[in-house]
Amino acid sequence: MRPEHWLFTIPLRLRSLFRWAQTDQELDDELRDHLERKTEEYVAQGMAQEEAHRRARLDLGGIEQTKEKCRDARKVSWIQDFVQDLRFGVRVLRKSPGFTAIATLTLALGIGANTAVFSVVNGVLLRPLAYQESNQLYLIQVVWSQMSKFYPLIPANLPGYQIWRKQSHSFEDIAIAEGTGTDLTGAGEPKEIHGVRGSANLFSLLGVSPALGRDFLPMEDESGRGRVVILTNRFWRGYFHSDPAVIGRAIILDGVPFTVVGVLPASFHFPTQLGQLTTFGREIDFFEPLNGPKDDERDLVGEFDFAAIGRLRTGMSPEQALAELNVIQAQISREVAKTDTGVDLSAAIIPLEFEVVGAARRGLTLLLAAVGVVMLIACVNLANMMLSRIPGRMREAAIRTALGATRWQLFRRMLTENLLLGILGGALGVWLGRKGVMWLVRAAPPGLPRLDEVHMDSRVLWFAVLLSLFTSVLSGVLPAWRASKADVQEALKSGGAAAGESQGSRRLREALVGIEVGMSTALLIVAGLLTSSLFHLLRVDPGFATEKVLTVDVDLPPQRYSEPTARLHFYNALLDRLRGLPGVHASGWVSRLPLEGETSVTGLDVPPGGPSHFPANFRTASPDYLAAVGIRLLHGRIFSESDRGRKVVVVSESVAQRFWPGQNPIGRTCLTFWGGKEEDEVIGVVGDVRTVKLDAAPVMMVYVPDWFGGKNLRVPQSAGIVVRTSGDERGVEPSVREAIHAADSEVPIVAMRSMSEMVSESVAPRRFQMLLGLLFAGSALFLASLGIYGVIAYSVEQRRRELGIRSALGAQVSDLHRMILRQGMTPVAAGLLTGLSGSLVIGRLIESLLFGVKAADPMTMGTVAFLVTIVALLACFIPSRRASRVDPMVALRYE
Amino acid sequence: MSKPSDLVQGTLDMLLLKILALEPMNGFAVSQRLKQVSGDVLQVSDGSLYPALHKLEQEGWITAEWKTSEYGRRAKYYSMTRLGRRQLEKEADNWGRLSSAISRVIKLKEA
Repeated sequence: MRPEHWLFTIPLRLRSLFRWAQTDQELDDELRDHLERKTEEYVAQGMAQEEAHRRARLDLGGIEQTKEKCRDARKVSWIQDFVQDLRFGVRVLRKSPGFTAIATLTLALGIGANTAVFSVVNGVLLRPLAYQESNQLYLIQVVWSQMSKFYPLIPANLPGYQIWRKQSHSFEDIAIAEGTGTDLTGAGEPKEIHGVRGSANLFSLLGVSPALGRDFLPMEDESGRGRVVILTNRFWRGYFHSDPAVIGRAIILDGVPFTVVGVLPASFHFPTQLGQLTTFGREIDFFEPLNGPKDDERDLVGEFDFAAIGRLRTGMSPEQALAELNVIQAQISREVAKTDTGVDLSAAIIPLEFEVVGAARRGLTLLLAAVGVVMLIACVNLANMMLSRIPGRMREAAIRTALGATRWQLFRRMLTENLLLGILGGALGVWLGRKGVMWLVRAAPPGLPRLDEVHMDSRVLWFAVLLSLFTSVLSGVLPAWRASKADVQEALKSGGAAAGESQGSRRLREALVGIEVGMSTALLIVAGLLTSSLFHLLRVDPGFATEKVLTVDVDLPPQRYSEPTARLHFYNALLDRLRGLPGVHASGWVSRLPLEGETSVTGLDVPPGGPSHFPANFRTASPDYLAAVGIRLLHGRIFSESDRGRKVVVVSESVAQRFWPGQNPIGRTCLTFWGGKEEDEVIGVVGDVRTVKLDAAPVMMVYVPDWFGGKNLRVPQSAGIVVRTSGDERGVEPSVREAIHAADSEVPIVAMRSMSEMVSESVAPRRFQMLLGLLFAGSALFLASLGIYGVIAYSVEQRRRELGIRSALGAQVSDLHRMILRQGMTPVAAGLLTGLSGSLVIGRLIESLLFGVKAADPMTMGTVAFLVTIVALLACFIPSRRASRVDPMVALRYE
Repeated sequence: MSKPSDLVQGTLDMLLLKILALEPMNGFAVSQRLKQVSGDVLQVSDGSLYPALHKLEQEGWITAEWKTSEYGRRAKYYSMTRLGRRQLEKEADNWGRLSSAISRVIKLKEA
């Protein structure tokens, strides 16, 4: 249509819409005028007045119909109809507030839960990383084939990175980064802050520019040049109170002044972890340039600690890039082979986005599925509630039909009511969802990536709106269709009240109940399996004592403790102080505490000359550490002062079993490659320890004494102090804190936790999964029980008269009970069976999330079946009791 | 009910436009004129006349205003718009083509 056309038509449409009454009045006048003239004409032809008037009306063919057709010609009548339907809907809903409240609440719960979970899924999985063309970014990792059985992928190292960057043409550029911690000194207490040490091109590669100040300069990552830092927005806001004058100011990190050159935008987030072995921590405070390779970073096959991110050149495929990298890796391997054996290197690349969300994907998908099932149950319930209202409204529908309403009009009207419920429920649901997101973000375990990016955005709101519309229509179509099928004759004849529920309608409602029960059962079983996994996990023997053990993470300032002997002196002096404290039973230090992950993974040759460079975790420990933390001695002995200076190690059970199966390992020698090549004597075998987390198998572990390494001591900059107490470990906290302060007031305490807290933290993701599972399964069961109750209560109401007659004819109360229970429990039993068999399939899908329990666990299935049966019986019992109390006289008088 | 079954679809619009092209008139007069000019051949019931007029008005082809007639009566008078005139030309063209095509076909059969 031409705009010229609209000039005429739009005002007309608007007029008919907003001046509806006037337009209609004019229509009325016009037709009346016509009738008068026509009558006059007939009278002029010699007809009697009465007859003339009748003929004129006949010619017009029904005044109301003609008017309706004229209104339709205005093309806006559907809007008016809709408004009318809405008004009517509001009136109906207000007339039954109980129904409206329950229906709205059901919808709101479903929509709220779904919106909250979808926000998380959206933030974590769906939204692309906030980097420029983030789909071109790949994480490059190294495959060391001799080690790949234990570590399929290892991070990159600096020499390798430099070669890649020089020789690779498939990548526009490659950047590199590792996590680092440092002490910030200046005003107040020393503060441990977390940073990233990276190449100067890191931000330009990601396509991010600082919000304030400048990016690193191209050569700023070379040796001796990188005394500059860029701060994250969060740290800048918290520590510098968003002071823009911070640019150019110096801050003291580990005693060295660094110049602040930039502040990143608030929208910038760096991954918490890249690859299995490179962690950056959840809260990054600053970025610093590499400052060239450190002395120990020049080895071609050492210090694989860096995450390498490459930006693929446009037009290049990942396969081409990988092939090229592998050519380069083969060259490096040949270079290494001149001096060392057993080093065959290749590369692996993975899209950065995939890497960042990888592990969370399965858990979140499960979560989304579970919450989707809750939504479906809410839908079914709503449909059921609507269906149960139909017989009561059959009379209304019949009268409307008799007055000329079409089926479509009836259908539309019923559906509009649902739409209204959807709008109400949706609004309430979005509000609940907001609360839910806040709760989820707070309660979620630290492992979930990108959690700080989770919030409600427009996509989530659209999701909520569509969900409300979809559910309200979905749950309304079936009831509305049934209602519009009202049989006028039947409904009017029986006077409405007694128009019982038809056989078909009851079947339908029972089928819906069966579906609800089935879905709830499946959800309950999943939740049960997750719960059972957690309990199994908490019963796992971690290999160390979890009671009466206090742990402290300390971090020595590198400037004053650059010498290993100084560090050793501090630790031992601290232990002396701790031993003297009242309530302290034993104490020790170790280079990394259990459950804090793998570190210092280096080569072990056992026996010397055998398989080489076998990867094992190394821990430096004070002689009394093993006893203090409660690691069991299995054979031989642990370090003592009399061993001081001797080359001795203690190995874990899995090392002993791997290398000396069925033999006595005590007194054997092994070759260790930690800092240098050394031949050591095994003096003891201790129990395995859960090193990474409770549900990860123990790793091969070698404990070395604090004098290990001779001149090249392996005393760590940061260590875990373990204090074994005779009473409650929390009681000694203040005195331990004081002791550390007294030993050196500038040493920051990074964390002070009881061992049971550490265990609890390590199962936090599982506890969270279980909690959500139980929450969703619980709401599903609750909704299903509402559904069962609704069906039975309604059917009892409908059959009041029949029940009255039965009891008048001598039926016992127990007979009536039995009859109603049988009716109620039949769909429940069917649903239960379906749910149980369905859970076998679902169980297999989530097998990887389970621990110590099979997907088809009879115990869990039995418990769930029992629980569902009890709840269903209870839901049947309440209306059934009411039925058995029906007084025959009263019931019959109802007629 | 009162479908103009003897009128080819859409021709009622054209007829109404043609009648209103001569002079503005009210609905009753249109029905009279229709009967008169077609010599009672085209029977358009009053019941389909008004919806058709309203449709033409909504399309912007005719416009209506309330006027007091010669006998002091208020009535709704329809008159042609510029758009309507263009539409009439188009429909008349179409109609001409259609009817000549049809008569050619009919003649073909007779021959």
